[in-house]
Amino acid sequence: MSAVLASAAPDTAVALEARDLTHRYGRRIGLEPVSFALGAPGVVAITGANGSGKSTLLRIVAGLLRATGGTAVLTVEGHAIAPAERRCWVGYAAPELSFYDELSVEENLVFAAEARGLDAPAAAAAAALARVGLDSRAGDRVPALSSGMKQRLRLAFALLHRPPVLLLDEPGSHMDDEGRATLAGLVEQERRARLVLIATNDEREWRLAEQRIELRGRGLGHPA
Amino acid sequence: MPSNGSNSGAAVWAILRKECRSEWRTRYGLSAALLFAITTLTSVSFAVGRLTDRTDMLAALLWVVLLFAALASLSHAFVREVEGHTLTLLRLVASPTAIGLGKLLFNLVFLVVIEAVTVPLYLMLMGAPPPRWGAFLALLGLGSLGLACAATLIGAVISQTRGRGALFAGVSLPLLLPVLAAAVSGMRAQWAGGPIAAEARLLGAYAAALLAASLLLYDHLWED
Amino acid sequence: MDREVRMIGRLALFLWIAGWMVAAFVWAPLVPVLGETTRVLYFHIPAAWVTVLALAWSMGHSVLYLRRRRIEHDHHAAAAAEIGILFCVAATISGSLWAKAMWGSYWNWDPRETSIFFLLLVYAAYLALRSAIEQEERRARLSAIYSALAFVTVPFLMFVVPRIYFTLHPDPIINPRGKLDMDPRIRIVFFAMLAGFTGLYFWLQTLRVRVARLEHRLDES
Repeated sequence: MSAVLASAAPDTAVALEARDLTHRYGRRIGLEPVSFALGAPGVVAITGANGSGKSTLLRIVAGLLRATGGTAVLTVEGHAIAPAERRCWVGYAAPELSFYDELSVEENLVFAAEARGLDAPAAAAAAALARVGLDSRAGDRVPALSSGMKQRLRLAFALLHRPPVLLLDEPGSHMDDEGRATLAGLVEQERRARLVLIATNDEREWRLAEQRIELRGRGLGHPA
Repeated sequence: MPSNGSNSGAAVWAILRKECRSEWRTRYGLSAALLFAITTLTSVSFAVGRLTDRTDMLAALLWVVLLFAALASLSHAFVREVEGHTLTLLRLVASPTAIGLGKLLFNLVFLVVIEAVTVPLYLMLMGAPPPRWGAFLALLGLGSLGLACAATLIGAVISQTRGRGALFAGVSLPLLLPVLAAAVSGMRAQWAGGPIAAEARLLGAYAAALLAASLLLYDHLWED
Repeated sequence: MDREVRMIGRLALFLWIAGWMVAAFVWAPLVPVLGETTRVLYFHIPAAWVTVLALAWSMGHSVLYLRRRRIEHDHHAAAAAEIGILFCVAATISGSLWAKAMWGSYWNWDPRETSIFFLLLVYAAYLALRSAIEQEERRARLSAIYSALAFVTVPFLMFVVPRIYFTLHPDPIINPRGKLDMDPRIRIVFFAMLAGFTGLYFWLQTLRVRVARLEHRLDES
């Protein structure tokens, strides 16, 4: 398993291509058609008005949402990854991601690592917590965390299995300056090895990116 | 085909342990279910009195009590994930099939615990003649398996609807009728001293058919 | 042209059913034990047959929806369930009236009554589930899952219930030996009504699906 994991680390060849990708929620348009081709490594910012579909786009790429039109193809080492398998290859952190209140911070991550079938769940969880500076709070229950701390936990969850693709939805929300510095440091470490997509409207976050995709939706999930 | 740490067995086991730990820490679902089962049991016992010489009634009422307890509690496993907003996390770390199987095993453990309390109490309060334990436990086990298989998939479906818990009983009942019919008839034969092989086979086959259908359907459960 | 063909089709269906209904009264003989109640045969059994047909149609389209994700399949599945409920109620009521005449009570939990009541529950649960889901794709997907799972129970109910309970219900028309022991005239009227009801079902089905398609288009725009 560690050999498999190693193959997912640094120089995994990853490409993400979207062609006329769209999503509708009933009669509302969640994501206007968008096309792009990205390759690792690199950091890409996705910007656009509220409701233009930034989160929707990330959910589709993560395999959490089935697009209603167009295609989004994720290839790892030349193989297209089916949406159902994406969870193994992407790390996903979004504001809607919640953790189990009745488990501690560490237990949440150890559970995630075990369910993902990682080799050394406890070590993986500890390493991820250390990277986001949350190791001192490992034993706390999740409700005891501040919202900035919870955001760090989401980042740790995304980094846990060292995926070749990172999908970060508003990663700096609720974070103080120190948290933002940690985030910037993480992105800096990942930029040479992985494909990082950051959905944000915050200038401090999209400045971390070298490319920017602007979604042109009219916003607020307007009717078609 | 590259793979990145996806092991269904480990995921099922991790989910089962997570469920047990969460339940043990809150005891919210278990205490509610036990309370419900015991309340049903006492009202039945109070309403009909001791039924020492009516083993046909004993068989029917036993399954009615168990069915009530199951209907009141088995949707809980998924509803809790939806209400705690933790479903995204779960979907990111395990395949739908692993989630389904993990929850199914948990529901089975849950039923066994409820039965371990309810059934002895039932036998005592109703003044039931001593059952033939082998046959009795076999029927109980196979019936619970059928209940859990149907309730797990329906629970996952129901958790995505508006009514959530409210619809669960009505929607799962049609699927549970064959379990009820065969289990009651088997229990009756068990007390009457007749053979139960036919009913046991039916219950087993029904549970197997539900399980097989579930395994094909879990994959379609979550797409938005 | 298309309209005219449809019009002629509808008229032919109406005349067909009406004609055989008259034949049931004036041409086909009565069965000794059943007496005047014989004629329920021409209504009750075709209705029960359509109930099962609609259920199978609904399940089939549910599975197709899960495979192909075309909303059209969901329209078919939902339409079949609605019409199935209609025919299920018709079969239940006609059976119950017949039971009153023959067995002296409207409802007796006879295995046949149990199984038709069960079908009614499946349909009702399916529609209740649908009504609880707002979003179209989600509704189609989840109700298809339910429908596919519910179908597992059908063979079991047909197998479990009869073997556990004793039934008073007359033999199904085609008995286990596959032999038809009825008067040829009864047989002709019966099968003609069966065909008529099947035609009626498919006509209603296309109507309902067309309505669903229009509603869908209205929703989209």
